Amino acid sequence: MKLDCKRKIAIISVLAAIFFLALNLTPFDKKIKNSFYLVSSPIQNIFWGAGVRASGFFEFIIEMKHLKEENEELKLQVQNLLAENEVLKDFKEENKMLREALGIGLEKEFQMALARVLGKDVAQDSILINKGAQDGISEGLPVITSQKALIGRIGQVYSNFSKVLLISHPQSSFDGKVTDSEVLGVVKGEGNLKVAFDFIPREKEIKEGDVVITSALGGERALSGVFPFGLLVGKVRRIERADPEPFYWAELSPFFNIGELEKVFIIINY
Amino acid sequence: MRNIFILIIFFYLVALLQTSFFPHFPMGHLSNFVLVLVIVINLFEAQEGKLGLLGAFFGGFFLDIFSENFLGFWVIILLTTAVFIKFVLRKYVRFPTFVQV
Repeated sequence: MKLDCKRKIAIISVLAAIFFLALNLTPFDKKIKNSFYLVSSPIQNIFWGAGVRASGFFEFIIEMKHLKEENEELKLQVQNLLAENEVLKDFKEENKMLREALGIGLEKEFQMALARVLGKDVAQDSILINKGAQDGISEGLPVITSQKALIGRIGQVYSNFSKVLLISHPQSSFDGKVTDSEVLGVVKGEGNLKVAFDFIPREKEIKEGDVVITSALGGERALSGVFPFGLLVGKVRRIERADPEPFYWAELSPFFNIGELEKVFIIINY
Repeated sequence: MRNIFILIIFFYLVALLQTSFFPHFPMGHLSNFVLVLVIVINLFEAQEGKLGLLGAFFGGFFLDIFSENFLGFWVIILLTTAVFIKFVLRKYVRFPTFVQV
């Protein structure tokens, strides 16, 4: 009887192993996942929306103390930005005139597709969105927020859904640049929503609060592909230097908050 | 059969909550509630009970569906955890019982 039970367990284990192997070795696993996403997407939509509202509410309660200080700070920032904006308007006019004079057309705007976030992977830094191969989505396309903050790139593509590998994903690596300076480095995902700005030459200086954007040089590892120039990546949070090393690195805080993401844009053509 | 059906629906909803609701909260994206539930069920279930193992299988399957890993990844992890808990409880843990003298 005992042997029978053991034999039964062994047979079930072998059958389960064959079943999962067959699923993973054929494209059938993508079809299964896609059909589960189709069924689950309305519920996921509700849960994700509820999560955004609930976390926003709790955050509001926690941060109520600091609201006054933050408000003052933001007012000051708005004033500075307004002044900067006026200067930039002049530059824009000048730029337009020069372009016309030189016969260069205005830069082509990105062709983008809007997608809704449905869920986040349990252990990996990736999110599920409701656009897939049927909507013209393919692997490697950049995904951004409405503020042009880089979220990541398309990883796996299903018929109606796609997985987006966040910039914090360990497989993510691309060139970045500090704004208003010539400091170049490599933005690397560290997992658990952490992003590092690595390979900063020792002789170049950066400081906390500096903004890192994408540079048009593309990724060091072929996996990352090329992102368009000028997308916001993150702010320098902490700088790590070791004296004998020719390079140093910094920790970045990304411009997007996973808890507040509801809609994202996929850059289809750039 | 009814219990198994309820268990499947339950783990499906927990996996959905795990991937769509909890990531909005601090540490929510790091904790794995399906794993916690599988451990709890296996710890408190009767020795001969099968719901812990079935929960591990279905919980793992739904986690695999909503994750980037290959199908079977979480099934293996959760089933191993469930079997290990059952083994330890059977071999090394004795609950005090009344013994007739």
